[in-house]
Amino acid sequence: MAFDEVTTRPTGNQQGRSTGATVAVQMTDVSRRYLVGSSEVAALEGVNLEIDEGQFVVVLGPSGSGKTTLVNLIGALDVATDGEVVVTGRRITGASRAELSRFRRDTVSFIFQSFNLFPGLTARENVQFGRDVTRRRGEGGDVAEILASVGLGERLDHFPHELSGGEQQRVAIARALATGNRIMLADEPTGELDFHTGVQILGLLQEQADAGHTVLVVTHNREISRVADRVIELSSGRIVRDGPPIEGKVPVDELSW
Amino acid sequence: MRLSFWLRWSGRDLRKRWPQVVAIALVIAVGTGVFAGLGSTTQWRRESNDASYAALGMHDIKLSVSEGSTAAAGRLRRLVDQADGLDGRVDVRAMEERLIAPTQVDASIDDEAILAPGRLVGVPVSEGGPRVDGIEVREGRALGPSDDGQPVGLLEVHFADGRKLAPTGALKIAGGASLDYVGTALSPEYFYVIDPRGGLLGAMDFAVVFAPLATVQRLTGWAGRVNDLVIGLRPGVDRERLVAAIEDAAAEGAPDLGITVSVTEDDRSWQVLHDDIAGDQQFWNVFAGLILAGAAFAAFNLAGRMVEAQRREIGVGMALGATPATIARRPLLVGLEIAVLGAVLGVVVGLLVDLAIGSVFEDLLPLPVWKTPFQVGVFVRGAALGVALPMVATAWPVWRAVRIPPVEAIRTGHLAVRGSRLEALARRLPVPGGSLSRLPLRNILRAPRRTLLTALGIASAITTLVATFGLVDSFVGTLTVADRTTLAGTPNRVMVELDRFHAVDSPEVRAIRDLSVVGHAETGVKLGGTLAPLSSKGGGAERSQAAGDRRSEVNVLLEVRDLDHGEWVPPVSKGRLPRSSDEILLAAEAGRDLGVGPGDTVLLRHPVATTAGSTRIEETIMRVAGLHPSPFRFEAFLARPDVLGLTGSANAIQVRPAPGRTVADVQRAIFGLPGVASVQPASAMADALETAIDQSVGIFRVIQYFMLFLAVLIAFNSTSIAADERSRDHATMLAFGLPVRSLLRLAVVEGLMVGLLGTAIGLIVGRLVVEWFAVTLVANTLPEVGITAQLATGTMTSAVALGVAAVAIAPLFTLRRLLRVDVPSTLRVME
Ligand SMILES: Nc1ncnc2c1ncn2[C@@H]1O[C@H](COP(=O)(O)OP(=O)(O)OP(=O)(O)O)[C@@H](O)[C@H]1O
Ligand SMILES: [Mg+2]
Repeated sequence: MAFDEVTTRPTGNQQGRSTGATVAVQMTDVSRRYLVGSSEVAALEGVNLEIDEGQFVVVLGPSGSGKTTLVNLIGALDVATDGEVVVTGRRITGASRAELSRFRRDTVSFIFQSFNLFPGLTARENVQFGRDVTRRRGEGGDVAEILASVGLGERLDHFPHELSGGEQQRVAIARALATGNRIMLADEPTGELDFHTGVQILGLLQEQADAGHTVLVVTHNREISRVADRVIELSSGRIVRDGPPIEGKVPVDELSW
Repeated sequence: MRLSFWLRWSGRDLRKRWPQVVAIALVIAVGTGVFAGLGSTTQWRRESNDASYAALGMHDIKLSVSEGSTAAAGRLRRLVDQADGLDGRVDVRAMEERLIAPTQVDASIDDEAILAPGRLVGVPVSEGGPRVDGIEVREGRALGPSDDGQPVGLLEVHFADGRKLAPTGALKIAGGASLDYVGTALSPEYFYVIDPRGGLLGAMDFAVVFAPLATVQRLTGWAGRVNDLVIGLRPGVDRERLVAAIEDAAAEGAPDLGITVSVTEDDRSWQVLHDDIAGDQQFWNVFAGLILAGAAFAAFNLAGRMVEAQRREIGVGMALGATPATIARRPLLVGLEIAVLGAVLGVVVGLLVDLAIGSVFEDLLPLPVWKTPFQVGVFVRGAALGVALPMVATAWPVWRAVRIPPVEAIRTGHLAVRGSRLEALARRLPVPGGSLSRLPLRNILRAPRRTLLTALGIASAITTLVATFGLVDSFVGTLTVADRTTLAGTPNRVMVELDRFHAVDSPEVRAIRDLSVVGHAETGVKLGGTLAPLSSKGGGAERSQAAGDRRSEVNVLLEVRDLDHGEWVPPVSKGRLPRSSDEILLAAEAGRDLGVGPGDTVLLRHPVATTAGSTRIEETIMRVAGLHPSPFRFEAFLARPDVLGLTGSANAIQVRPAPGRTVADVQRAIFGLPGVASVQPASAMADALETAIDQSVGIFRVIQYFMLFLAVLIAFNSTSIAADERSRDHATMLAFGLPVRSLLRLAVVEGLMVGLLGTAIGLIVGRLVVEWFAVTLVANTLPEVGITAQLATGTMTSAVALGVAAVAIAPLFTLRRLLRVDVPSTLRVME
């Protein structure tokens, strides 16, 4: 194993979720700076963070506050300039490109604002891709079942352009589920959807968290943060608030925006 | 908005896609450059011909004395001087008498027998002569006045080069005399060497030796005699009037000499060099067209992609109320910029092609002057094409883009992605393996137009390759058949031709038969004739209407030999061997041209030897007994010589060496015997053809290298376009942790499929082009040889290998880009 196995507090195996204390993500003094011309722009600055497994976390903040940067660092799409990022016990700061690639394959799955389904593959095949890429065949149920679980049992052989935006995003969630990875990173998953559809998607994500996935949802919509177990609020690259929703967690169907 | 604004904007577009832009400019450059380069050859050859003939003072008028006769030196000159209305000092630049005699030349080196029929050309060497039909020394030294009468000469360069002889050496000529050649030389009448016996072998097999007049007179025993006079006129002289006057003077003053008066254009070599040009150009035009087509497909491909990438911007522009003309400005400017780059590079490529082809021509057609000047006109045409191509290529997708309703054009994200009709089909197409293995085929079907353009671009490169290789294959294949038929069973046969008909029991024939090196000898007859079809009905002697058309007549070399007991009989592909006097065996090719097969009748026009010793032409109806597979159309066989009135005489002998003796031994022993005109191994014809093919392959090589380059460029271009289009998919895959090598594999598989499609199209079209070459072009320029279009397995495999490799390797060029892809920003971009 090329990753440093990092022992985090308190020790426990992957199934030890019942202890409620297994750490999925640990960030220590993490900064991400960009060099734009001769000046430096800090997208994230001195972030310290710990996320337990099975949590439904909403990352909230205005545009440009560093939300996308944060989830990209967790998802190993991006590399921190400073500090240390440890995900499911693997230190991903300082890992090679091949190691990062393997990490993404085995650990996280992405859900994008603009869906990013493969236009050349049908719904079923897009989900199958999630399955194929991790090579965990036979685990986590049949592809058609996964699609049925997101309510698309009837649209298996449709191409993305034959589906609505909400349906496409559901396929994207199914694709993320099919990987069998425990951490789901969703950057503005409802950004292109109407309220009603957005609520459906959030409901689906909440279900995954209930089923034991660690779910990070990025949004600039404060209303959405009400359904979270925990809200991490960013402003100008720094965490300005971290804790449960102010008014307490509410069920998804009580949202309105 | 000012021009500088548009230039800056389009400049950014160019920079963003610079590898593709350079690739497409190069494609256009190769297309137009090769087009211009090949297009220049016509002009070069015309200019080079004219300059070469002028440089060596090709004769304007020539007087030849009938074969076998000679005239006292000075007599021909006086005849011309006496011609009516000719003022020697005003009209004539130079006038020279010569003595030209057929001979046999032995240029053997050590153990290699080099024996060929040829001729001695006795020319004046004093006063810097010859001044008409001059001699250019290629290597060695020129002949001077002190050489007159000495046993020295110059060897014609085609023969010397063809037989790979040293620039100086010793020769033996008929009668056993020795003669040193002090160099190799070129002369206008032999710029293209034609065997006067009508063979195909020309250059390789006909040795011309230029020697001082007195030397030739001494060697031939014709002291003080000449048989030929050449005249160079001053500019502006009315040649036709002089020819008429000289003809009159000759008829009046020397009826005994049977003088023929000919002019420059009657010279066979001159005719070939001039007639060749048009046919060759037609040939090059096919290649130039193919290359240009490839460039056009590639240009359309890239331009289409560039405009498509701007689709949203075009939509925004239209939404903002910009006119189509304004919107079209940017992409068209990009097109123009690529065009200019392509045209400039095209001139460079054209110059390279010029250089390569020019040097090949200089080797292939040695002339004293080779002019390969830059052809401004041809290049302007090429450059115009080079500019027009990308302009049209951009204008077309732009025109399509501005006609899309703006709402559709600015539509983003998931809604912008649309499928093709083929996709519906793809859904039902079962592909084994997982989701990834389906992607390449899906991607191809999603953009059928682009796939087709790429495939056609590659196909045009493959077509050109297949056509060039295939033509060589066809020649080689033909040769193999020729070798097989002429050498069948008796590879060491030697063909002896006698100087005239001799009785089969004459001392000349017996002398050959009785040589100790000769194991077996068969006498035969070889005689020229013409075949024409008969009208199918009646079978009478009346000729069909088509027979008036020279095309349906076939010149044949009739060979009479013992087909019952002979050691070598021609193989028969259809029908059987002739048995009776009125039966004939034809080449399959001749049968096809005449429209006859076994059992049909043809009209044979042939000479008949009369008892008085002279000949007359007769027509005889012959029955076609069968066809033989030799590609040489002129080979025809008879079983009995009685039709020709030649019972009991022979002018050809086939010899098999005695055990332990070689072909060379036989050649040496027979060479120089009285009555022998030539001694050749049976394989001589095929050998000569092989050399000719080897030489012409040079130009194909040039084309092939450029084709290779073009194919790789087109492949690179289309892969980089594909990579561009798939960047979002690729970023998503990378986000899911798919390794770069899997992405590369996808690109390679996708490339392979397009490559296979292109290669398949290229092979089919290439095969048709070869067919077309064989049927029309070669049939017109080389009617005597029946070329069967064929593609060797090697050609096909290398075409497939190239087509597939080019596209499959091309993705590796995009590897760097894949490794550097900025996943977050690619995913953020919404197209
Ligand atoms: N590749 C980059 N180069 C330079 N600066 C960047 C780059 N990517 C992000 N930034 C900067 O980092 C900061 C944070 O960006 P980030 O995308 O994380 O914001 P965000 O909170 O996701 O915003 P939004 O809600 O608009 O998506 C911004 O100021 C942005 O300009
Ligand atoms: Mg963002």
